This record gives sequence, structure tokens and C-alpha cells, in this order.
Amino acid sequence: MSTNIYRYEVRVRWKSVLIWTFALASLLFIFMALFPSFSAEAAAMNEMVANFPPALKSAFGISNLDLSSVLGYFSFCMVFCQLCFAIQASNYGFGLVSVEENEMTADFLLTKPVSRSNVLRSKILAALTSLLATDVLFWLMSYASIVLFREGKPYELKILLLLLGSVVVFQLFFFFVALAISQLVRRVRSVTPYSLGLAFGAYVLNAFAGIFGDVKLEYLTPFKHFDTAAIVLDGHYNLPLVLLEVGVIILALGFTWLRYARRDIPTSV
Amino acid sequence: MNIFWHEIKANRKSLLVWSAVMVLLVLTAVAKFSAFHNNPESLAILDSIPKSVLDGMNMRAFNLVKLDGFFGVVFSYFSLMGAMAAAMWGSESIAREERDKTVEFSLVLPITRSKLVTAKLLAALVNCVLFVLITWGASALSARAYQPDAGFYKFLGQEMAAMFLIELVFLAMGVLLGCVLKKYKLAGSMAISIILTAYVLFVVSRMHEKLDVLRFVTPFRYFDAADFYKTGRFEPVYLALSAGIIVVCLAAAYLVYARRDMMI
Repeated sequence: MSTNIYRYEVRVRWKSVLIWTFALASLLFIFMALFPSFSAEAAAMNEMVANFPPALKSAFGISNLDLSSVLGYFSFCMVFCQLCFAIQASNYGFGLVSVEENEMTADFLLTKPVSRSNVLRSKILAALTSLLATDVLFWLMSYASIVLFREGKPYELKILLLLLGSVVVFQLFFFFVALAISQLVRRVRSVTPYSLGLAFGAYVLNAFAGIFGDVKLEYLTPFKHFDTAAIVLDGHYNLPLVLLEVGVIILALGFTWLRYARRDIPTSV
Repeated sequence: MNIFWHEIKANRKSLLVWSAVMVLLVLTAVAKFSAFHNNPESLAILDSIPKSVLDGMNMRAFNLVKLDGFFGVVFSYFSLMGAMAAAMWGSESIAREERDKTVEFSLVLPITRSKLVTAKLLAALVNCVLFVLITWGASALSARAYQPDAGFYKFLGQEMAAMFLIELVFLAMGVLLGCVLKKYKLAGSMAISIILTAYVLFVVSRMHEKLDVLRFVTPFRYFDAADFYKTGRFEPVYLALSAGIIVVCLAAAYLVYARRDMMI
């Protein structure tokens, strides 16, 4: 790994990490501050839901979820955090190497006495560092928001850890898939439309599954692989789906690795 | 005029991609409707979901068993997609010149800067109109399987009008961002963060009465299917508010762009 590249890349992203962290923090605190007034109302409704036949209930994922409980509510709010994570990770993925081609700095970088795989490795590690930094800050703030607003209600630490841990693989999926797509197209002229498409596409697919309760297309989306409501209900990850996701990550990484080594780099001349 | 046609061509691919996604969205949505069609049991389930969750997802106001109620729920996604597409087209068309290092070329053409902005704005506007028409067509065609009544088509038309107005607001915002921000890279990400914030505020504002004041802050609330499903019209306050936002954004965009330093 080239420390120079690594350090440069981390430095380029630290401001963005702070902004995303700020966004996530405001999201968490706005939602969790509503919890006290929300849970009272939800508790009354829960009793009614209990009487419905299970087949019908399963059609509406969310109706199974106890929104009067701390984690039930937290998982609801975490879907929006996931959306932020998805956009951030795809931003980093799409921009990772394509930014050099857009700003005409690719020829400068690639004539340095480091191999392409070394460049790629350093860049990936730097981006992963930034993503992990966001995670750690997110974990701390989630914990803080829960402690502040839970109103003495109990919650299971193990499930909270599962929920918080899921964002790591979730991010990796968007990061590596975005990176692989950026290698597939000839040129990523602007990162934002691509990452919006990827992240929101996945989100909307999942939202449809949530409302209209049918599962086919939805297996495509990581929002379903790490369905926060399901994690709270089952108390564990949906292992086949997580493995599927890890498989996709490895495939995307492998593809990028091979492709970038022999990619035709567009330059200004 | 040359610039206008050039912009239309430059935006074409993006319009195709957004439309394809939109058509896909409409098709899946309508396919899923079959589970609800004339099935009162699913309504009973909906009744049991906590009020604020439904409000958050904007589902309480609608009768999901009926086609127009169902399209009322789907409208949140129409408006979200419309907002994103419009903001992207607005900000991209201005910021693109600096990114691709073509801004020097465009600005030495024998036209004023405001004419340049106008041409780009109009081209983006054409995209927005086409996007709404495509959504409209896809929805009307795919809904035909359920033999909707005239009321549905009227409501759908209203939804499309609402989607167009939301597009206009975000298009103006996008153009403003593209014109004002010195760093062209910021334009896109600022646009996203504004849309995301507006969307989250929209969800939150429906969850709790105390937060209802937020309805003036987020444009998604101005044209909320839950409201015009009931009342059958748009509130004049919101129409005035959006007109105000659009005028202010565009005026600021023209003023600033006319005398701004370009990043070369």
C-alpha cells in the first residue's frame, strides 16, 4: 500500500465524512425525540394487531413490528439512516477512481512509480477507513439517542448490536457495486446521478416490498437483505441473504481488481 | 436556439434512464395492486397499524382497495422521483459546463449569460414535461386492466399536475445551485441533501401534530396526495409559496450567474 495515496485520499474525504455524520445525527435525534409521544399511541394499537391471522400479518412486514418498543421504533428510523449510508457509500464507490479521469489527473497518478493495483488498493483502503469512521460515529450517536430518549424502557443489547453492525456490510455492498459499475461504463462524468440511482433504486424496491408485501424483486436490494424490522423480530440476520450479499461484494471487488489493471484510461489528450 | 437543442440532446440519455425507472416503478406498483383489488381484508390490517406510522408512509388517507387510493400512496414515489430528476437536470445543465471545461467556449459565444441560462432552463423544463407525460401515460395504460372510472383519471391528472409543480420547484432550486455554487461538484450533492432533508421532514411532519408546522418547510407537503385526494384541489397558500420559491430562486440564479467568476 502506498501511504501517500492513502493519506491523500483520507484527507480528501474527511469533510464529507463529517457532513454525513452530521446528517445521520440530526436524523437520529429528530426521530428518536418523537419516540416518547409515539410509543404510547403505538402500544394501544399493538393489542389489536395481535388478533389478526398470521398469514395476513406477514403480508405487512411492519405490522408485526412493535413500534412501542425502543428497538422496534429505532429500526423504523434506521431505514432512513440506511438510505444515507447507501448514498454515501455509492458516492465514494462511483468517485473512487473515476474522479481522476474526470479531473484529468489519471495520467499524473498512473505515471507514478506505483502499480495500478497498488493505487487501487490504497484508494479502497482509504475509502473504507472513511466509511468505518462514519460507522463508529453513527454507533456512538445511536447509542446516545437511545439512552436519551428511551424513557426507561428496556431494550436488548444483542439486537441493537446486530442492527448497528449490519451497516458495515450494507455499506460495503453499495461501495463495491458502485466501484464495479464505474469500471463498466466508459466514463462517470458526474457521480451524483449514478449514486442517487443506485441508492434510491434499492430503497424504492424495498419500500414497495414493505407496503405491498410480496417478495421476488426485493431480494435484489440490500435494504431487504438487512431489513431492520426483520432483524428486530427474528433476533438474527437472514443468513442466506447476507451470504448472497457478501457474494456480490466479493464478485464486484474481484471484477474491479481485474478490470482496473487493464482498463483503458481516458485522458485529456 | 442552438444551445437549447444542444442541451436537449445532452439531457436525452438521462431522461431515458429516469423514464425507464419510472415505467418500471409504475408497472411493479400496478402489479402489486392486484393483492388489494376488492380485498377488504387487507384494509382491516391497515386499520390496525398505528396511526402515525401510516401517516408517515402517507397511507391512512387512502382507500387502498380502490385504484385511486392506491395511486395516492404511490404518489410519494412519483413526487420523490420527479423532484430528484428535476433538481439533477437543473443543477447539472449549468454545472456541467465547468466540469467538462466547456464553459469558456459557451461564454464567448455572442449571447448574454442570461440567454445561456434561459436556454438551459427551457431544455430542462422540456425534460420535466416529458417526464410527467411519460409517467402519466404509463400509469393510465397500466391501470386500464382494472377498468378505472372517470374519477380515477381525474385524480391521476391532478397527481400529475402536482408532480409537475413539485418538479418546477426543485428545477428552480437546482438551477439556482448550479448558478450560485462556485464549486461545480457541490451542486449535485447540495441538491441531494436538500431533497433528502425535505423528504425526511415530509415523513416526520405527518407523524406528529406538533410537527405540522413543518408543512410550510417541505415542498413535498405543498402538493400532498393525501390532501388533494380529500379536497380535490391545491391550497392557494401552497401555490403562492411555490411560485414565490420559484421566482426567488430563478431571480437569484440569473443575478448571480451574470457576474460570477467561472472555475476554469
